[in-house]
Amino acid sequence: MKIPLILVAAIILAALLGPLILPWDHASIDWDSVRVGLLSDGHILGTDDLGRDRLARLLVGTRITVSVALAAALVALVIGVIWGAIAGWVGGRTDEVMMRIVDGLYALPFMFVVILLMVVFGRSIFLVFLGIGAVEWLTMARVVRSEVMALKNRPFVLAAEASGSSGTRTLIRHILPNVAPVAVAYLMLTVPQVVMVESFLSFLGLGVQEPLTSLGILVNESAEAMDVNPAALLLPGGVLVTIIVCLTLAGERFRDRLTRTGRAAESAS
Amino acid sequence: MSVLQLSGFGVDIGEQRLVSDVSLEIGEGEIVALAGASGSGKSLTAITPFGLSAGNGTGSARLGGEELVHLPEAEMAKLRAQKIGFVFQQPLTALTPHRSVRQHLQEAAMQAGGGAPTTRTMLAMLDAVGLADPQAKLAQYPHRLSGGERQRVLIACAIAHGPKLLVADEPTSALDASLRRDMMGLLTGLCRKQNMAMLLVSHDLASVERDADRLLLLKNGEVVEQGSAAQISQKPKSGYGKALMAATPRLTEEMLTLPDTGETLLEVRGLSVRFKKPGWRAGYLDAVKDASLTLAKGETLAIVGGSGSGKSTLGRAIAGLGPVNAGEITWQGDLLPPRKKRTAQHRRLIQPVFQDPVASLNPRWRVADSIAEPAEQILGTRPPEARIAELLAEVDLPAEFAERRAAQLSGGQAQRVAIARALSANPEMLLIDAAPSALDPLVADGVSRLFRKIQQERGLSMVFITHDLALARRCAHRIAVMDAGEIVEMATREELFSTPKTEATKKLIRASS
Amino acid sequence: MGQLILRRLMTAIPTLLAIIILSFILMRIAPGGPFDGERPLAPETRAALETAYGLDKSLPEQVVQYIGNILTGDFGPSLVYRDFTVTELVAQSLPISLLLGGLALILASILGISAGLFAALRAGKWQDEVLMLCATLLTALPTFVTGPLLALIFGLWFGWLPVSGQGDGVSWLILPVIALSLPVAGAVAKLARAGLAGQLGQDHIRAARARGIAPLTILRRHALRPALVPVASYLGPAAAGLLTGAVVIETVFGLPGLGRYFVQGALNRDYPLVLAVVTLYASLIILFNLAADLIYGWLDPRMREG
Repeated sequence: MKIPLILVAAIILAALLGPLILPWDHASIDWDSVRVGLLSDGHILGTDDLGRDRLARLLVGTRITVSVALAAALVALVIGVIWGAIAGWVGGRTDEVMMRIVDGLYALPFMFVVILLMVVFGRSIFLVFLGIGAVEWLTMARVVRSEVMALKNRPFVLAAEASGSSGTRTLIRHILPNVAPVAVAYLMLTVPQVVMVESFLSFLGLGVQEPLTSLGILVNESAEAMDVNPAALLLPGGVLVTIIVCLTLAGERFRDRLTRTGRAAESAS
Repeated sequence: MSVLQLSGFGVDIGEQRLVSDVSLEIGEGEIVALAGASGSGKSLTAITPFGLSAGNGTGSARLGGEELVHLPEAEMAKLRAQKIGFVFQQPLTALTPHRSVRQHLQEAAMQAGGGAPTTRTMLAMLDAVGLADPQAKLAQYPHRLSGGERQRVLIACAIAHGPKLLVADEPTSALDASLRRDMMGLLTGLCRKQNMAMLLVSHDLASVERDADRLLLLKNGEVVEQGSAAQISQKPKSGYGKALMAATPRLTEEMLTLPDTGETLLEVRGLSVRFKKPGWRAGYLDAVKDASLTLAKGETLAIVGGSGSGKSTLGRAIAGLGPVNAGEITWQGDLLPPRKKRTAQHRRLIQPVFQDPVASLNPRWRVADSIAEPAEQILGTRPPEARIAELLAEVDLPAEFAERRAAQLSGGQAQRVAIARALSANPEMLLIDAAPSALDPLVADGVSRLFRKIQQERGLSMVFITHDLALARRCAHRIAVMDAGEIVEMATREELFSTPKTEATKKLIRASS
Repeated sequence: MGQLILRRLMTAIPTLLAIIILSFILMRIAPGGPFDGERPLAPETRAALETAYGLDKSLPEQVVQYIGNILTGDFGPSLVYRDFTVTELVAQSLPISLLLGGLALILASILGISAGLFAALRAGKWQDEVLMLCATLLTALPTFVTGPLLALIFGLWFGWLPVSGQGDGVSWLILPVIALSLPVAGAVAKLARAGLAGQLGQDHIRAARARGIAPLTILRRHALRPALVPVASYLGPAAAGLLTGAVVIETVFGLPGLGRYFVQGALNRDYPLVLAVVTLYASLIILFNLAADLIYGWLDPRMREG
């Protein structure tokens, strides 16, 4: 679990600090060296067709992709936890209606919804993460709900009620702290999902707009020029894949460890 | 001639020796029981010789003269298929969900190399294990059968190939108390009739002592006592045997006097609870029907019944922790409102204790915070540390336990903390919901002694919900018997056992003796 | 069983209607229309166009009319590809998407299930670790990275396979199908492994083992069907996605499938086209979920009662 997280941290750190050190920024054009290769004219990774520094664009693109992903994952976390906690805690009709809505949204063509939202409300970076977050919360809501349902019939929750603890207090003090680890595990799994969706949208030209850039746009640009400059594809693609794989691995391990200890605790009873 | 012979048999898992030096011999038609608390190694001893545990056998285990220790798995599997039958604890999950009863029986009958059985043979097999309506059951999938029916099918499968030895690992502990007697009777009858040897494993001494010819008492992987079942149950020699026998309640034991009772406090009249059945095709399940009872100061009332009898639902309704559809609950004449309307004052009167040690405490809270919660919420002030220590002392735990979390407590300790939490509100009555076999017999006995001590010191009233009639007889002034949502009989313990009136009560008494 | 199908269809129809109506309204209230070109149209031309396409009526009227038309198989004219009706466009592109998606689905199932089952049988050993790491890698690799990468390696460097468009024979299908199936294969492998590993620890497997049944027979008879339940529940929606939504792969490999028309339609505000694809997709999802339900019933009789 350590190594993947360290790798991701290193990438994020580079994306944050790199642009401060580089003499070029992601939008400025070096007219003297358009479309040059690796290590030429002070451009470590060369430049693109417009003479923009590839390294600067890679770092800025990473920064955008990661921040969009984090923001969207947080949106998903907040909506998902609130929705799932209410549905699971209140139960009955409320739960049924709330979960039917989730089921319905699940059945919606997910990618189409995001694309429709982009088209309908225009292409702004804010909407990109709002839109993605609004779709990604579904899994979180399901997970949180089933955790809350399992916890709410535990004797310790009934004992809290018998202790005169109000419903809201029980939910906040007893239930949610016990849901937190699982929510964090799924948050870790949501981030790479969102990275994927964001890059996918940008790849199709529906995400972040020029002159800003993201990993998806860079992959798209370089895929078109891959016959001349394969390294250009490998780098943004590599960074993207590293982020997704590392976060998925770390998230899955964390989740599996939680369910294992959960099971061990139950079988001990 | 002996069917199974263990001599100096032990079980290792990795480097660790979990069972050592067990010697026993079972002849044809004989029944030998391994008994002990969980973790005593009794199951390991029973299944390791046949290659079914993670452990390795040491010493010697012979089946009809053939040495089993170090036998390769392929040969062991052949041996199991031909000469041994197994019945495990979990009848609900031990049948493959997508295979019908017919398919299970066919596979079992053919496992020793025989041909496919005819429908008539299979019907006879089901008949022999006392399954009602075998014709219809043959085509069923397991999920359509009840727990008892599944266990009968499993027994039919276990003996379908005519094994020499039957290994039964806790065959009845997942079943309802009223079914246990029948199922043990079926197993012992089959052994005697077909001249099979049986190795029986159980944590419940009371249930094996009458069925087994010989008994081995295990503790921490060692045999502490062995001999005829009658001798061990009546005159145990070892200290552990004595303690265990004393801790196991029996219907035949002398009734101890209980503390005096006072005025009537709690009165329940015509209480009903119904649940909506899951799914769209609506329908209601009457979990509790028209239940009425009273409870006096210092009195213990036991509510006894099988699983699904509605006893826990009734208990929760009384404590204001579950729904009520009709009827009223009063305390000294004042009405106790339904769940959502109960105030702190109402909550103080009745505190629940759930006998599910792990789930009873919030795993993320310190013991001190758990114990402080009722006082804080109901009495309005957080009790000082000294008060927490006092409460811990009352349940015989040292004050240092205040800093621990649930995971750092044993089952018995967690149970005691849960009791201390209930006492922290200074209640008038405890509602104790006992989960079946959640604790080892000795620990459970310690906890029920604690309840008696607390009752005496504080003059508390108690409602004690249990499936164990013998335990109810030991500690309750009066006993209410529940069956299918109704209180079918309520009487003092003396009366209930001398003149039981209803069939449900008689059945429970039969099942427990 | 029949009752289950009937009940599912009863809930499916309102769901489908809701999706159509919602998307219809969404598209209508979106700022900007199909005729907002670079050069503003004369008001009368615009009015004539809007009458011709029925855009001048009230929204509810438009919805009702639209649904009525769909029932007769008429999805209206495309607003962008003016010479074609939407039905024609769909009829042209759907076969390509179905072929691509269907083959990818089969490949992913075969690869994923066999790798997952093998890993479960070797649970905890190195083969399991390696296979599951690969599976995670596959699910994490976006198709728009693997697609170009495969094209680069096998198309450009080795020159074995075509990388763009529909050529003769079947060689043009190989790279897109592989690229499309990889993430699904990874997900299926994980689910199959978890399913079987979970089954192998179950009581009924222990009971079968105690009866001395041969390990392979236990696997085939007792463990396999319940182990595949999670795979079936994943493949339902995944199949619908594969058959219609291979947008990226179609873009990367220059194939005129349904996904490309959808993205183009959405960008150009070609309402009828987008709506047709959404309707088609939603019905496919419902259909595949129904198929998954039927498969559950076969895998586990407990689910037949719904």
